[in-house]
Amino acid sequence: MACCLEPAKIEEKIKNNTQSKVKILPEPVSVIKHPLQYSWSLWIYVNDKSKTWEENLIELTTFDTVEDFWCLYHHIKLPTELRQGNDYAVFKKGVRPMWEDDANKMGGRWLINIDRKQRSANLNKYWLDIILLMIGENFENSEAICGAVVNIRGKFDKIGVWTGHTYTKPVVEIGKTLKEVLGIQTKFGFEVHRDTMSKQGSTSKFLYIV
Amino acid sequence: MSASPIARQATNSQAIPTRRVHITDPSQMPDVYSSTPGGTIYSTTPGGTRIVYERSFLMSLSQSPNSRTPPKCPLPAAMLKDPAGPVPHLNTTNKPRSNSISFDESQETFSMDL
Repeated sequence: MACCLEPAKIEEKIKNNTQSKVKILPEPVSVIKHPLQYSWSLWIYVNDKSKTWEENLIELTTFDTVEDFWCLYHHIKLPTELRQGNDYAVFKKGVRPMWEDDANKMGGRWLINIDRKQRSANLNKYWLDIILLMIGENFENSEAICGAVVNIRGKFDKIGVWTGHTYTKPVVEIGKTLKEVLGIQTKFGFEVHRDTMSKQGSTSKFLYIV
Repeated sequence: MSASPIARQATNSQAIPTRRVHITDPSQMPDVYSSTPGGTIYSTTPGGTRIVYERSFLMSLSQSPNSRTPPKCPLPAAMLKDPAGPVPHLNTTNKPRSNSISFDESQETFSMDL
């Protein structure tokens, strides 16, 4: 019993205890993960012709820390490694990457087309930069963001940044931030989902262009 | 911002003071998690405090031990990189890009496939 020990032994015991505690405690930096403002879901669209569009859209996992995002990013294929016809989507948890979702139906998307010839140079880079902008809350109007989709297609790959509404000020800010951060020299436009849905092969009209 | 109309009115006339502290290495982070780089700031913004990470800081975390563990969730094999392959080294610099975006009015033929 501790009360029977000599003071010197008690001190030694305390010292040993302290030392062993120090040893077993891991470095704080290696345990603590950095929380994100929102939880985000990673979706993949696989182009299985025997299934419906919705069946092909699969929510794979959700992440809510910086480290969990990187775990995922390091282990899954890059957009350029996906097969033609496939998509990745990263959306706020609870929002499905489809026009019909309540969070999306009044919104639209900034649409960046990437020529096949530029795929190797820019597609992966743009995709990563957009995800980092979103999860790091780097858009001033980040609450307007629903998510982003990358489509791997034959002629053009596409990246869409989806918003929940079409109000000029926040939506244009998001477009300008994208243009500046990605270093895009050419113009690109913002489509309203309702217009895209009702489009009958006519010329696409952009609500905003940056 | 998601500030309520009342919060907006209250703050209309003054800008929120901000200060940027540039972090180049994880060792410059405070050792206490409740502190912020450059000193602890107790503040909030209209509509609530946001957790903001700049690109350079996110990139600095990309090779930390926690960031290199395999994901906890099972993922379809078709989505995974070749396990024998190395984890690619991420380019942390922002290189100037060539003029690479194509703006093509005819692109709407692709729009129906999401």
